[in-house]
Amino acid sequence: MAKAFIFMMCPVGIAVALLRRYAWAVPAGPAARGDVPERLLRWAVGLLSARRAEWGQAMLGELDHIEGRGRRWRFAAGCAGAALLLPPWGRAAAAVWAMVVAAAGAAGVYAATIVRYRLGAGDWVSAAIALVFLVSFTLAAATLLRRPGVAVPGLLGGLFVALTWLALSGFTFYGVTAPMTAPWTPLIAEVAVPVLVGVAGTLRGGSAAAGRRTARLAAVSAGLGLYLYATIAVAVLGVGGPPEDTGWTVSYIVSDRLGNNVIKHLVVVPLVTATIGWAAAAATARIRPRLATSVASVPLTAAGPAGEASRHPVTTPQEAGPAVRVRSWHRTAYLLLLCAAVAAAVFLAAASGLRG
Amino acid sequence: MQRNRPPSAQAISVLRALAADPARWRYGYDLAAEVHLKSGSLYPILVRLADRGLLETSWEPGRGSRPPRHLYRLTLAGREYVAALAPTRAGRAVPRPRSRWSEA
Repeated sequence: MAKAFIFMMCPVGIAVALLRRYAWAVPAGPAARGDVPERLLRWAVGLLSARRAEWGQAMLGELDHIEGRGRRWRFAAGCAGAALLLPPWGRAAAAVWAMVVAAAGAAGVYAATIVRYRLGAGDWVSAAIALVFLVSFTLAAATLLRRPGVAVPGLLGGLFVALTWLALSGFTFYGVTAPMTAPWTPLIAEVAVPVLVGVAGTLRGGSAAAGRRTARLAAVSAGLGLYLYATIAVAVLGVGGPPEDTGWTVSYIVSDRLGNNVIKHLVVVPLVTATIGWAAAAATARIRPRLATSVASVPLTAAGPAGEASRHPVTTPQEAGPAVRVRSWHRTAYLLLLCAAVAAAVFLAAASGLRG
Repeated sequence: MQRNRPPSAQAISVLRALAADPARWRYGYDLAAEVHLKSGSLYPILVRLADRGLLETSWEPGRGSRPPRHLYRLTLAGREYVAALAPTRAGRAVPRPRSRWSEA
């Protein structure tokens, strides 16, 4: 029950995050258009290394002078693509390659297992779905790894999450294939560990945004690693390992385990880790107000490169007036909803553990 | 380490467009329109040219609430480079409407 509740709360958490980001956000400044092309480009140029930050501002400044929806879209999309690929990537390149190898390895083992056990067309469809997840995770990791101060805590967080799940399964292929029966495992793996990752990422990064990104990178890297491990386990064990229901054929058992791996390691683990970690990051920033300020997107300045006078100078609450009061109310509502969701998840997980 | 690969046809078309009036500062969007390059191809080219010292950049201060704009023109080295390039690669610097992502 607790697992189901935590899993169901994840979409709620994501919805709250999206509401907070887009619906309740105060515009960046009086002249900011805030349309989708500008948001897309702001996000993309935020991935550029400090050495290339000026080029990001150049793209944003140019976009502001382009009229017409289609033209703005084309320009922003092209620049975003360039910003995503523009070197230097530094040490992030090695981590991205590691992710690519893990994803390709998992997909290769999945395909080899299907061929070896002569599974049906439905399994190839499952493999294609898994491949979509793997590619998405790799792309997500590639963007997160380029964010300043996210790579190391995110990858360490992912290692921590993956090791916890493996420890709870006894570090064996048998254990990772079998369902976790201990009643306290959901509380540890799905609540405590993501909370730790989110809190640590926030404290280390100095902002809620850094904590959220750390949790997201930990989620995708742990999901990739665990999925690779679990897929190898199925390939090695075949019909061995934990006993299954009588009457199941070899191909059915292998197919079922491969499908379970996709659900558990490519959906549940990343979703729960990212969402609970996000909530923990937000709560940590609230508890320690000096951390609450999010890392701003690339600053656009009046006279050129960052460091000079800001185009959208920070206003005091008195100057901002009603806008700040409205945002304050929204933030309070958001915080209450967040706390209620986390408290309910923790309570139900604990209740489930005690009942078991 | 800076790699000095030969410039692509698209990079040469950008260099030529800039060399047409070397003293004039140019906007990125106008440059892209002139040489029929998408922004995703133009900016990596500009970055690489600037890294190689062939291009200098400046900022046009924003007016009112408008943001500043980045400006580009050839350096002296850039002008010399284009001048040296012209006799040998003139026929290959034909801009193409559809460009590759990684061109620079």
